[in-house]
Amino acid sequence: MKKTLMILILVAILFLLPLFAGKYVIYMTIHILLLSLFSLGFNLLFGYTGLLSFGHAGFYAVGAYACAKILLAAPSLLAGIFGGVIFAGVVSFILGVLCIRHTRIYFAMLTLCFGMMIFSLAWKWRDMTGGDDGLVGIPRAPLEIPGLLRINMGAMESYYYVVLVSSLLAIFLFHRLVNSPLGLTLQGIRDSETRAACVGISVRNYRLISFTIAGLYAGLAGALLPPLENTVTPPVAHWSHSAEPVLATLLGGIYTFAGPIVGSFLFYIIKDIIVRFTEYWLICLGVIVLVLVLGFRGGVVSIFSGKGGGR
Amino acid sequence: MAFQGLVGLSLAMYLWLLAAGLTIVFGVLGVLNFAHGSLFMLGAYFAFTFYGLWGVNFWLAIILSLLTVGIVGYLMERFFLRHIYHLDHAYQLLLTFGFILIFDDAVKMVWGGVAKIPAMPSFFEGTIPVLGRLFPIYNIFIIGSGLLVALLLSTLFEKTWWGKIVRASASDREMASAIGVNIPMLFTGVFVFGAMLAALGGALGTPVRVVAPGIGAAMIIQAFIITVIGGLGNLKGAFVGAIIVGVLSAYGILLFPVFELFLIFVIMAVVLMVKPQGLFGG
Amino acid sequence: MKEIIRTEGLAKYFGELAAVHAVNFSLKEGIFTSIIGPNGAGKTTLINLMSGYLFPDAGRVFFRGTEITKTPAHKRVKMGISRSFQIMNIFPRLTVFQNILLPVLSRLNKNSRAFSALGSQKEAVEETEKILNEVWLWEEKDSPAAALSHGDQRFLELGIAVATNPQVCFLDEPSSGMNPIERIKVLELVKKLSAERKTTFAIVEHDMDVVFSLSDWIVVMNRGEILAEGKPDEIRDNKEVRDIYLGEEI
Repeated sequence: MKKTLMILILVAILFLLPLFAGKYVIYMTIHILLLSLFSLGFNLLFGYTGLLSFGHAGFYAVGAYACAKILLAAPSLLAGIFGGVIFAGVVSFILGVLCIRHTRIYFAMLTLCFGMMIFSLAWKWRDMTGGDDGLVGIPRAPLEIPGLLRINMGAMESYYYVVLVSSLLAIFLFHRLVNSPLGLTLQGIRDSETRAACVGISVRNYRLISFTIAGLYAGLAGALLPPLENTVTPPVAHWSHSAEPVLATLLGGIYTFAGPIVGSFLFYIIKDIIVRFTEYWLICLGVIVLVLVLGFRGGVVSIFSGKGGGR
Repeated sequence: MAFQGLVGLSLAMYLWLLAAGLTIVFGVLGVLNFAHGSLFMLGAYFAFTFYGLWGVNFWLAIILSLLTVGIVGYLMERFFLRHIYHLDHAYQLLLTFGFILIFDDAVKMVWGGVAKIPAMPSFFEGTIPVLGRLFPIYNIFIIGSGLLVALLLSTLFEKTWWGKIVRASASDREMASAIGVNIPMLFTGVFVFGAMLAALGGALGTPVRVVAPGIGAAMIIQAFIITVIGGLGNLKGAFVGAIIVGVLSAYGILLFPVFELFLIFVIMAVVLMVKPQGLFGG
Repeated sequence: MKEIIRTEGLAKYFGELAAVHAVNFSLKEGIFTSIIGPNGAGKTTLINLMSGYLFPDAGRVFFRGTEITKTPAHKRVKMGISRSFQIMNIFPRLTVFQNILLPVLSRLNKNSRAFSALGSQKEAVEETEKILNEVWLWEEKDSPAAALSHGDQRFLELGIAVATNPQVCFLDEPSSGMNPIERIKVLELVKKLSAERKTTFAIVEHDMDVVFSLSDWIVVMNRGEILAEGKPDEIRDNKEVRDIYLGEEI
């Protein structure tokens, strides 16, 4: 009960945020929510299914670029977001079919490969993606259901609510997912793929499902970006961006539900604080990674719940 | 046209030195060192400092750079990597990724960003005509060095006592330990050796290549591609893979300037999917 | 007595070594069968070939007349074949309850349910509770499987194997690595499961007391081939079998 109360308070604070926080905080909160979605998807693959993907930013990018192109053609926020998610899902399904037959190091490298392929397309295919200038002038289109409602997104606060509601819905869905038979099946595959097969589970199929869902979440995070920033540039597909959900999840706690969300929050807070003191925030991040991997593999969440570190 | 192949060949040698260390470390320790490119970068920065800033003799500068990076490699393995060998591969990738972040910022802190290219040592100045074009003598030196290293490594691992122990430990760690090989010390030694190879690659580029933060990260991806194509742990494969990637890059930039990067990754993906042990793997 | 599993000329090579060679194995329904033989005889490989963990280099495998030689392991489980492992193979991070729930859900084809809570799977939960009691693990149901004692892990291993309600269950050295007290308990459990369930058990075992007290039928393997098979008494008197055990009391 205490946990539910805490969550309700947190959600309430998030809804009331624009009343007492300035634009900068709202902007950062949106980014934290985007990283949370991105990281949840990543952790479904890693913490729940046991597959480390280093190319996840590729799906984020597909979601972002698809949304951007849709918004540039037809300024409807819902079309952009849904379109982005669907494109990301299709691409992740296709790439998943190719990647899923391999495991461990080979899987990680294959995903790195595909992620960088998407990056190189984003960077060089000027006609489609704007090349290294990216796509610009993307409108923060109004939230519109023809005949029913139309809400302008001119104010960042309005868009914040779109992001917040989408994120909360997605997080709720994710919670149902990981506590369902499907979620248990994925964890079984993570724990022992041979035993999972020997109890009748088609390991390959479920890994593909996990991969696709992870891609959908990354795509959602990506699709929510263009209306905020009004531009999309190639670095969103680079492997260094793929590293962010990895770090956030490691920070928050790999084998937990809330880990990626907590970690995303900490990631931005730490970055924000460090950058005030020094421009060398990567070195601090690197040190934090070393500390976590060597001593606190369960992340921050494990420190508080006492569940201990990973294998 | 064929000239571009020579350009590619000299590029390939840097990649070969980087990939050689990476693949040896993976073959023996079972660790994929994400930060290997950073060691290459450090080799370049140190060599630049000794030769370009302090005016040390070129050859001495290279040796000092190797030793310095060797020490860095020692510290990395002995005090950090060693503690996580028993963990999932994922944590090794994460830990070494942490090192990339640290090294990238560290070089910015110490050297302040992009370094100027120092003067070419006098005995390598100039060009000679090859295939109707003028080819820098230094590049010939690079190609020669790369081939020499390949020869030395091959002799080292096939013929010497140390090489045989390393190979035995790579294929059966428990057995090697059982016959008295000090595995932890061997691991440290191999890691340092691999680090020095990477540093050599970086150092040799000093008079011709830009030294900047991030060059390591850029090259590590190519090194991954090479080790995949050649087979993880396979030295001969790494050599051939480096030549393939180096030459393809050179031609790619010439012929497919837009999609050359994409093509390289397609090749890597295809090899990973069809023959993950690499073209030479078994 | 119907034949439930049959192999024809089964062979598997590891490099030059024939782990299993020209094996014609037959398992009859309801007949508790033991597979014995010295180390390296090919017993585990045979089980791996029949359960789908490995595919053969030559020969065929049949289940109730249907060929399953190249059928993947998970599909064989759905057909009714199950196995346990010699080296403990449980789901370490899941709780004991979840370890059993997973195969039960698999049997009920409910693994892909993505939006219903685990607790709402009434039929699966009830069956899991029954099995937990059957294998004496009710007390530990909420512990992570990795935290269990060695003996309890073995009970769990068996529990997972029978949780899919198989028609055939291969147990690979179920008492391996157990101290004498644990060993007795494990074999008591095997006996109980065999008596109470409609599953035909085939076990690989080294403990001859167990083999002779439990089995209706014994298959002796040596060097990748079936040397002899028959009722326990026949095997006990078989000269070739006694030879390969070189004077061990059988």
